[in-house]
Parts: sequence; structure tokens; C-alpha cells
Amino acid sequence: MTNPPPMTAPERERAARERGAIDLSCRGPVLYLATSGVFWLLVGTALAVFTSAKLHTPALMAQTPWLFTGRPRMAHLQAVNLGWASLAAMAAVVWLTSRLCRVPVAFPALLYAGGTLWNVGMVLNVGGVLAGDARGVEWLEAPGYAVPFLVAGVGLVSAWTAATFGRRRERHLYVSQWYILAAVFWFPWLYTVAQLMVFGLPGLTRPATGVVQPVVNWWFAHNFLGLWVTPVGLAAAYYIIPKVIGRPVHSYYLSIIGFWSTALFYSWAGMHHLIGGPIPAWLSTASVVGSMMMFIPVIAVAINHHMTMLGSFHRLTYSPALRFTVFGAITYTAVSFQGSVEALKDFSEVAHFTQYTVAHAHLGLYGFYTMTMFGLLYYMVPRLTGREWLSPLLIRIHFWCDAVGITWYFVALSVAGWWQGRMLNDPRVPFGDITEYVLPFLFQRTGAGVLIGLGHVAFAALLVANLGGWGRPRPGGPTYFTGPAAVREGSTTPPPGPLPS
Amino acid sequence: MSPADFAVLLTIVGSIVLFGGAAVLALGWAFRSGQFDNLDRGARTIFGPDEPVGQPTDAFPGGDPGR
Repeated sequence: MTNPPPMTAPERERAARERGAIDLSCRGPVLYLATSGVFWLLVGTALAVFTSAKLHTPALMAQTPWLFTGRPRMAHLQAVNLGWASLAAMAAVVWLTSRLCRVPVAFPALLYAGGTLWNVGMVLNVGGVLAGDARGVEWLEAPGYAVPFLVAGVGLVSAWTAATFGRRRERHLYVSQWYILAAVFWFPWLYTVAQLMVFGLPGLTRPATGVVQPVVNWWFAHNFLGLWVTPVGLAAAYYIIPKVIGRPVHSYYLSIIGFWSTALFYSWAGMHHLIGGPIPAWLSTASVVGSMMMFIPVIAVAINHHMTMLGSFHRLTYSPALRFTVFGAITYTAVSFQGSVEALKDFSEVAHFTQYTVAHAHLGLYGFYTMTMFGLLYYMVPRLTGREWLSPLLIRIHFWCDAVGITWYFVALSVAGWWQGRMLNDPRVPFGDITEYVLPFLFQRTGAGVLIGLGHVAFAALLVANLGGWGRPRPGGPTYFTGPAAVREGSTTPPPGPLPS
Repeated sequence: MSPADFAVLLTIVGSIVLFGGAAVLALGWAFRSGQFDNLDRGARTIFGPDEPVGQPTDAFPGGDPGR
């Protein structure tokens, strides 16, 4: 490959100005979505720690109806998944779409309206669940009156993404964009179809009956992870890792294979949640096959992220964004391998319906997705506000609390769950003994939850400080390097090709 | 078949056609418009003259991005 000619100073400045203008146009809507997401993360974390404590200390506030064990548990699930995970996803979608399409945000009103509708829906959702209006379907607990707001909210963000894609100035679709476009296309459909089929439209259509209900339920629950948050998390990782270390993705070919095989296989996997349940055996078997096929995209992504990072692991010391993102990317590989194996029927015999599954779910949504989103926020927010993070110490506290917290959580509940399953399968073990065996691990879960919560408080403090104007202004504005040290002249690495028009 | 069953069937079959079809169309468009023609260049589209390949772009506040 011949090296393209080096860039001149005016070209560099023009590119920096363009990137700066795009980031500036994103500032309002993206910070709105991200900040409200972090708000729901704090709400969800508080509910999580409380629910966890109730499991080992049931008398805790037992006289308060809206804090009965079931309600905060469902409110936690809704707050972290539809509140934090989805709003963070929308923030990532807007910023990455603008940067990758190389167009400033147009129609910001659409995004403000979408975010506001979603937040109103979330207040009704979490408030309604705590008030006792939850609907007894896991992952679809949102009361009926909250759902239209949520559907309309994400619908607007999807419409904005499509409109921006139509106005793109970059001809090539970077792999992150494939993931993002797929996610904003799939999720509104998933959520609407799941609502229609499990609950129906009041007065107009009746819900599906019998085994179709749990089938749709788990088709949605699994695809929420697989077709909404996972694509956004991978889109972020595919952007942040190469950008931070300054090296293109190891094998772009593999990344495209990874995307299309995810699109082909992931939506098959949901029925592995119902192994041993009262559904036709072929359905869960098809899902086991789908789960096995997921090895293809996962190995593609794993090879890519590892090989891209190879030789750059020392940069984890220097970059907070990279540290969180790489933690997330490594966890993605681990949790996906685990998930595929967990889908096997023999494995499910022990692990299913135990704390093991809970540990796995948290490793996925927290260890992979949430950590990756933190990485994105650490990279994105200073470029939007034009200010550095206030305190490296708080960043380190955040990282270590969360990294140690989720690892502790995962190990404790995996061990507890595995032996819980072994004992449940042995009719000679009295049920009371199993409960007593699990109890110390439940205390550990609360400990890990508190640790994770501390990390979240540190991050929220950093975010508030950054938005409030504390922190040094970034040298050179939104782009990281525009100063004299920007480009090491005579560097052995060839500069990139000219910008496509 | 009751109207409710029919509505369920319509949702499922409609979804399969719509979303399966969308994926096929998207893949077809990608090939026709040359998205997969030059993967090496594609991988470099996120870099630019201001943030070129070979340049780390993130650091702890006040820190050095390292080499």
C-alpha cells in the first residue's frame, strides 16, 4: 500500500473545525439524554441495593407497601434497563451517528421531544411499578399508561437517526453504523410487538394466549439485550478503541462478518430461557442452536478487539475511556461464551432458575454494556462541554469500585447459584438447607452492590462538575490534538487517506 | 381461526417478511453501493487529518496519552 501524502496544516485545521462543529451541535440533545440516563442509573442502583438487602433481611421496611420486595425489584429492572441502558444508548446513537455521518445535528427538537417523552414514560413506569400497577411479565412490567410514551420516545429518536443517515456526507458506513442502524430499527419493533402480543390493545385486540405469551415474553427479554443494547455497546467499542489508541480495527472484514452473523443468529436465542418449561421442545432446541451459532459473531468480535489492542494494552494506564471500554469488550467475550454454554440443556439442568442466571445477566448488562457506556461517556462528554474531567482520582475510584464490584458480584452469585442448582436437583437436601447455604452470598451481593453504587456516585459527581463548569478547558477545543504536538512529524505511521467528499 | 389468532399470525408473518426482507435489502444495497469494496479504507474512515492514525486521543485529565 502506498502512503497517501501527509496532511497540511490547513487541512488538519479544517478537519478539526468540522469535527468541532459536529460535536457542538450534539451538545444539548446528547448531554440531555446522557444525564437523564445517569439519573436513572442512580435510581436503579438504589433500588437494586434495597432489593438485595430485602433478600437477606426481609424485615427491612416491611411495613411500607410500595417497598414490598417484588416492587423495588421490578422497578430496578425497569430503571436500569429502560432508564439508564436505553437513554445511554440513545445518547450514543445520536453522537456516533452525527460523527460517523459527518453531519451536524439537524432537527434537535426531535431529540429533545424523544428524550422528554421517554423520561415522562420512565417516571410513570417506575412510579407506577412502585405504586403497585406493574404488570406481571418480567421485562414488560411497565404499566400500560407508560408504554405509549416510551414507544413514541424511541420512535422519534429512530426517525431522527434515519433522517440523519439520509443526509450523511460520509459515503462509507463504518461498522459502528451498521450496528446502530440495526438497533434503532429493531428495538421499537421489538417493544411494540411484545406489547401487542402479550397485552393486546385495550378494547381493540386481545393478547396472545397460552404458551405464546411466555414465548413472546422471552423473545423480547433476550432481544432487548441482543438487538438493542449489545449492538449499541459494540458500536461504541468499535469506535472508541480504535480512536483512543489511534489504530484502525485489526480486521474490518471480520467486523462486518460479526455484524451480519449477529443479525442472523441472535434473535433465535431467546427460548433458551424456557428450557424445561411448558413450550414445544423444538422451540427451545432451535434456540439452543441459535445460541451455539452466536459463537461465530462473538469470536469475530473477540479476535478483532484483542488484536486491535495488541501492543497497546499499556495505554489502559493513560486513558479512562479505553480502560472502561476494554473492560467492557473483554467482558463481552466472556459473558457471550458463558451464555452460549448456559443454553445447553445439560448445563441448564443445574444452572437454570438459580442465582447463576442472575450473575450472568449482570455480567452482560453491567460488566459489558454499562462499562462500555462509561467508556463512551468519558470520551464524549469532554468533547461536548469543552472541559476536562475534574479529578483523575474520582475517575480511578469509579473504575475500581465498579470493576471490583461487578467481579465480586459475579463470582459470589455464580458459586452460590451453581451449588444451589446442584442441591435443588438432589431430593435428599432439605429446601431450608439450600436457603441457608445461599444466605451469606446474598449478603455479599449487597456488599458488591454498595461498592458499585459508590462508583456511580463518583461518576455522577464528575458529570455534575463537568456540566457545572468545573474542570480545565480542553486545549484546542473539541478535538483532542490541534496544538503543535498534534501530529508527530516524521512519524513512522502513515497518515490516513484524504477525506472522501 | 378466531380474529385474535389471526391478528397474532398476521403480526408474526408480517414481521418475518418485513424484517427479514429489510435485512436482505440492506445487504443487497451494501454490495451494490460498494460498501465492501475497499475494507482497508473503510476501517480508516473514523480517522482524519486532525486525529490521524498513530495518534492516541485520550488521557486522564492533565495527563499524557502515552505512546
